[in-house]
Amino acid sequence: MKKILGITALLALVCIITAILSEGFLSGYNIENLARRTALLGIISIGVAFVIITGGIDLSVGSVVCLVGCGLPWLLTKQNWSMPAALAAVALVSVGIGIFHGVIITKLRIAPFVVTLCGLMMYRGIARGFTQDQTVGFGGEFTGLRTLATGQISIPFVDGFTLPAPCVFLLVAALLAAIFLNRTIWGRYMLALGRNEEAARYSGINTDRMVIVAYVICSALSGLGGMLYVLDSNTAQPVDFGNFYELYAIAAAVLGGCSLRGGEGTIVGILVGAALIMVLRNMIMLTTNYTNIEFAIIGAVLLIGVIADELVKRYAMRRRAARALLAETKPS
Amino acid sequence: MKLTTTILALAAILVTGCKPSAPSGSGSSGKKKVAFVTNGVASFWTIASAGVKAAGEKFGVDAQTLMPAEGIVGQKRMIEDLLTRGIDGIAVSPIDPANQTGLLNEAAKRTKLVTHDSDAPDSARLIYIGMDNYKAGRLCGDLVREAMPKGGSVMIFIGRLEQDNAKRRRQGTIDAILGRPENPANFDPPGTVLEGNGFKILGTLTDEFNFAKGKANVEDTLAKHPDVNCMVGLFAYNPPLMLEVLQQAGKLGQVKMIAFDEDDATLAGIQKGTVHGTVVQNPYMYGFKSVEVLAELAKGNNAVIPANKFIDIPARQIRKDNVDEFWADLKAKTGSGK
Repeated sequence: MKKILGITALLALVCIITAILSEGFLSGYNIENLARRTALLGIISIGVAFVIITGGIDLSVGSVVCLVGCGLPWLLTKQNWSMPAALAAVALVSVGIGIFHGVIITKLRIAPFVVTLCGLMMYRGIARGFTQDQTVGFGGEFTGLRTLATGQISIPFVDGFTLPAPCVFLLVAALLAAIFLNRTIWGRYMLALGRNEEAARYSGINTDRMVIVAYVICSALSGLGGMLYVLDSNTAQPVDFGNFYELYAIAAAVLGGCSLRGGEGTIVGILVGAALIMVLRNMIMLTTNYTNIEFAIIGAVLLIGVIADELVKRYAMRRRAARALLAETKPS
Repeated sequence: MKLTTTILALAAILVTGCKPSAPSGSGSSGKKKVAFVTNGVASFWTIASAGVKAAGEKFGVDAQTLMPAEGIVGQKRMIEDLLTRGIDGIAVSPIDPANQTGLLNEAAKRTKLVTHDSDAPDSARLIYIGMDNYKAGRLCGDLVREAMPKGGSVMIFIGRLEQDNAKRRRQGTIDAILGRPENPANFDPPGTVLEGNGFKILGTLTDEFNFAKGKANVEDTLAKHPDVNCMVGLFAYNPPLMLEVLQQAGKLGQVKMIAFDEDDATLAGIQKGTVHGTVVQNPYMYGFKSVEVLAELAKGNNAVIPANKFIDIPARQIRKDNVDEFWADLKAKTGSGK
């Protein structure tokens, strides 16, 4: 809980500073943009968080975003598939990639880093192959489908702000993920195997199955994210669509309290982490003329946040140990 | 609680430390703010940003160049954030004009929007500032005729023909070589042999940006037409590939070469005399003119928009006599000469 407190405070601070420096920050238009961007990043971050919680890593997230993001408009506009068929195809491919990763990692015992790194190269390569590096988009068509990402839901009694549709996907995904992780036996298994896979296996948990499930959740949410990203932007360039998204997603998950050693993580924290990344970028655009150094600023803020977090945790641990020692030595 | 305060303190130090000294909020400087958004990060755009800066100083506006490093999604985010900032004008080179109409119209609704480099004619942009690729192609064709006053056989190499600028550039080249009157609506299929004016255009070979294929195209041409007189490379990377093949075949200087754009190898070839000439765009003027137009529009002067909503920034021919001057100027503007 403390971890979320720290990151939430940091988010609040960045928001306050940006609001002071830029009058546009709190406008309905900007909040809508931020909500939509956070929702899109949040969806893929929740996916990658499941993998991180089991002690693994998925580097292929951005490439899955690219594969689905380019694949969907390609199937619909170039191959003239029907909408249900195209949606089913991208869903199947996303889930299939997760099963593929999970099986290789658990059955062949190959490091997740390697398997998903190869995935990172393969899926973007495949997307570049079938699109022949051409930009693909929906043109003026499929406006109905596009409302999934571009739709605005008006909130009663609130003027000047409408909820971007991707936020609904995020809320549903976050709610399901939180229930799954905290309220189901499978979720507890995942946390347990992340902490100590062998111990979990000897306790009778089918760890392989749980790992595969984690990779499937990750790829499925990456696919959902890819679909929403392309519906939002209306167009995708295979060469850079979704580039580096795996790293943003991992950063959001880690900021939100996921330990890369596994076994830890909360869904709310991940959402706050995703929001922090998007607000930082927004702050740099709104208040400075130096957008080319934005990654330097984001990297520095994130690193300081993580270091502060770690130092405080150690300090607290030492104090607890000292107090325990004191209690032992002091005769009652 | 300690954790929170520590993070707050550290973040506060960092954030205040990063705050720029230049006034950035709206209104504080009283200057109008305009932005020049590119389609990516490239040295081409570094030249344009020099023009943006110069025009910003000349016309008294706060002009900023933004290069999206993350493609379409990044460009969209930048434009949205510029609108949030209450920017007075945006000049953008849309990455995928046909599919970005929604975003461009949203921007046009909230500020003065112009396109540069690449147009989006279906959007509500006020004007397009850039090069006419058909005319630039004709300049290229004129170079061919100049290099071979008595005519001869010509092969054309290009990345791909699907995009509008490539189509127009190639057609301009062909029409000028064959001495046809100006008509951008012409289209000759790439496979047909065209004859006229003493010239024989053997065909147009595309490589889909695959350099290996691009090189193989040149090699195959030499094998199939050993007596080819002239080669024209219409995408920036084509001429360097052609030079490489000609060098390996020992035909440098025997086959006339006409280039497009300003790759270092192309310019070096012009200096050595192995390339007759090239046609270059003028990114500096893209930046300069865009900011000039936006500055006038921000002041409410709508007279800067001509009836055809197009300001032509003509391409230029570079030959041996002006290559040194051009290259030195290019290096100065990109900062690589310092």
